[in-house]
Amino acid sequence: MHGRRAGAAAVVALALGLSMAACSASGPPSIVGKQTLRIGVKEDQPGLGLRLPDGRFAGFDVDVARYVAAKLDVRPDHITFVPVTSATRETALGNGSVDLVFATYSITPERATKVTFGGPYYVAHQDTMVRAGDTAIRSVHDLKGKRLCAVAGSNSWKRVTQALNIAAVLAPAASYSACVAMLRDRRTDAVSTDDLILAGFAARAGPAVRIVNEPFSYERYGIGIRKGDLSGCEAVNRAVSQMYLDGTAAALLQKWFGRTRLQLDTRVPQFEGCE
Amino acid sequence: MRATTTPPPSREPHRWRNTARFRRLGLQTTPGRIRALAAVVVLAIAGFYFVANIAVGNARDGLRVIGHDAGPQVLATGDLYFALSDMDSQVASILLTGREHSPGTRQQALHRYNRDRATANRAAIQAAELSADDPTDQATVRSILDGLGRYERLASQAMVLDAQANHPAGPPPRNVIAVYRQATDLMTQELLPPAYNLTLEGGATVREAYAAKRSAVLSGRLWVALAGLAVIAALAGLQTFVTARFRRRLNLALAVATLGLLLLTVSAVRLLSDQAAHLQAAKTSGFDSILTMARARAISNSLHADESRFLLDPGRADTYSLAYLDKSQAVLYAASRNLGEYYTALGTAIKAYRANPRAVRFLGFYGDEARAHPGPAVTTLLSRFQQFQTDDQRIRQLTGAGHDRQAAMLVTGHSAGSPGYSFDQYDQAVVSLIVRHRGTFDQTIRAGDRELGRSVVGNWSVVLPLAAVGAAVLVAVGIRARLVEYR
Repeated sequence: MHGRRAGAAAVVALALGLSMAACSASGPPSIVGKQTLRIGVKEDQPGLGLRLPDGRFAGFDVDVARYVAAKLDVRPDHITFVPVTSATRETALGNGSVDLVFATYSITPERATKVTFGGPYYVAHQDTMVRAGDTAIRSVHDLKGKRLCAVAGSNSWKRVTQALNIAAVLAPAASYSACVAMLRDRRTDAVSTDDLILAGFAARAGPAVRIVNEPFSYERYGIGIRKGDLSGCEAVNRAVSQMYLDGTAAALLQKWFGRTRLQLDTRVPQFEGCE
Repeated sequence: MRATTTPPPSREPHRWRNTARFRRLGLQTTPGRIRALAAVVVLAIAGFYFVANIAVGNARDGLRVIGHDAGPQVLATGDLYFALSDMDSQVASILLTGREHSPGTRQQALHRYNRDRATANRAAIQAAELSADDPTDQATVRSILDGLGRYERLASQAMVLDAQANHPAGPPPRNVIAVYRQATDLMTQELLPPAYNLTLEGGATVREAYAAKRSAVLSGRLWVALAGLAVIAALAGLQTFVTARFRRRLNLALAVATLGLLLLTVSAVRLLSDQAAHLQAAKTSGFDSILTMARARAISNSLHADESRFLLDPGRADTYSLAYLDKSQAVLYAASRNLGEYYTALGTAIKAYRANPRAVRFLGFYGDEARAHPGPAVTTLLSRFQQFQTDDQRIRQLTGAGHDRQAAMLVTGHSAGSPGYSFDQYDQAVVSLIVRHRGTFDQTIRAGDRELGRSVVGNWSVVLPLAAVGAAVLVAVGIRARLVEYR
């Protein structure tokens, strides 16, 4: 009978209508909604990302990553920290071996063509570290003709020799911890990179090294996200805003860099914007 | 009146029709069956109303967020950022000029500074009104205004010290620079970032609302069509039953209800299709480009200020020129390792674009814009950006050769042919594109509003419940005359 079948259809439509409100748009895979996260961090930068003897990771970047992951509803025991180097950050994101990168990852226009950047969660400044006895180097321009440590995949030495056109002689290295060792062994004359990184190493190296204290750039530490994950980027930015609003950013900066001479900025940085 | 007094005999009884439950529902009698069928029809009408109401509500919410909340918020905060950034730019210009201002230039810069401040206040109030339901955003706007007060004190202090110093064009004395550093740091680290982040947040809100609401409107359209069909089928069933049982041709009330619901379903489906199209047009042809250009304008003003700061504060010259390069690359990305290479790469990229506007070989804000809206307006924008960069190159060459004074005079001038003039021309090209996209945006939002009905006639929040109730009443009227026969 017509009436009965139509009635049944109407009831079905009604039931489906109820579930309609719960329907949401499906998009490309995003870090939003993931239960577990693999986060790329540095393993050799004291104060930022350092692997401890017991295998755990510690530092400002690691703590910020934990905070952001918590805001993405990922339980602390569902985060896996994966060591990355300056040279492997883009590939690790690209091939999916990490979901996010918190690894003193300066936002540059060139990198922004390959990854999407959340944040910055902090704005550092590039400075230069030399041996304590070396008084000839007082600003980045004095690096002309000197040996400058060049970490593969890092932007810092490019700022000096390419962007500022200062004719330093490059001494290649794989990481900033290697650079600091080379500086002490006189295999390089200077290590030029972000003040936060230098501060961590200077605290360990003690009186053997000196920071020139002539900062010359804005290094905006971005959160590397797979290219195109806009909802992930927006969620991460909200978490960073929250981190500054609730005082966590100030506390973490104090925790990791409070004992250095650095001027810490506890105001939310200008975001890059999600593309 | 009907002649028959006895109800038509029941057909061959079916097994389940004799169950207790069946009898309890009264379905073994004709009036019982009519009532049951009518109940199904009324339920279906209620279902239709429910589904259509949700779908139309989604369309309305989408339009409200995109067209009336977050969209205007992006424009207001974009204006706020520009006005703030330009204030600092004017202060730098005044300090750079020193005593060598040609008649009126200092006055002009001061006038612009005051105008910017008024614009900033207005935009801040507007942004605060638009974020009335978001206390965090409101607090952000308030803190920007508080900071602006502190900024103004520092800026006037710097300008007073500068006037006392009575220096030639070029970098002012150290005490002036020290105060200006405090002012510009306050501006760039405390006032501008939250303003820019509010713009971005508006963009994120729109993107999310668009994705959610448009797909909800489209799936709502499907459900409305299904529910409409269900009601019509139920009505047809009732009609068939009644006409067969009572040997009548047509129940007029039921027929009117069926026709009405058919019309309602068709127009609801059409409305939802149109709404989805308006949302799409407002977002992709209007809003996205407004956001891109508002951000480009903000970053451009800030890189223009970096150009002045580079001349003003030699101690931070490296910082400001590196920031200038990064920001230029964000506006239009052409692969290059330093400013010298950038000027060349920019020239090549724009030349290639002119030769073939379909093949955009650069990225950044203008890459997006050129891909989305190829045409003469973008070509003008690109030429003016290039002219501004050419002037920048000239200024840096002058400072490089030790002609700081000449460079400072050039950068602060606003007469035709000067770099200040070329920046103003460039900014006008940016603004005219924003105005154009704004036109498209407003037009689609207005069309959407009109269809959802700001007026009573054609207002869906009135039409929908009236039609549903009307249909239910018609069903009641239609079966009442038949049921009366059993009294």
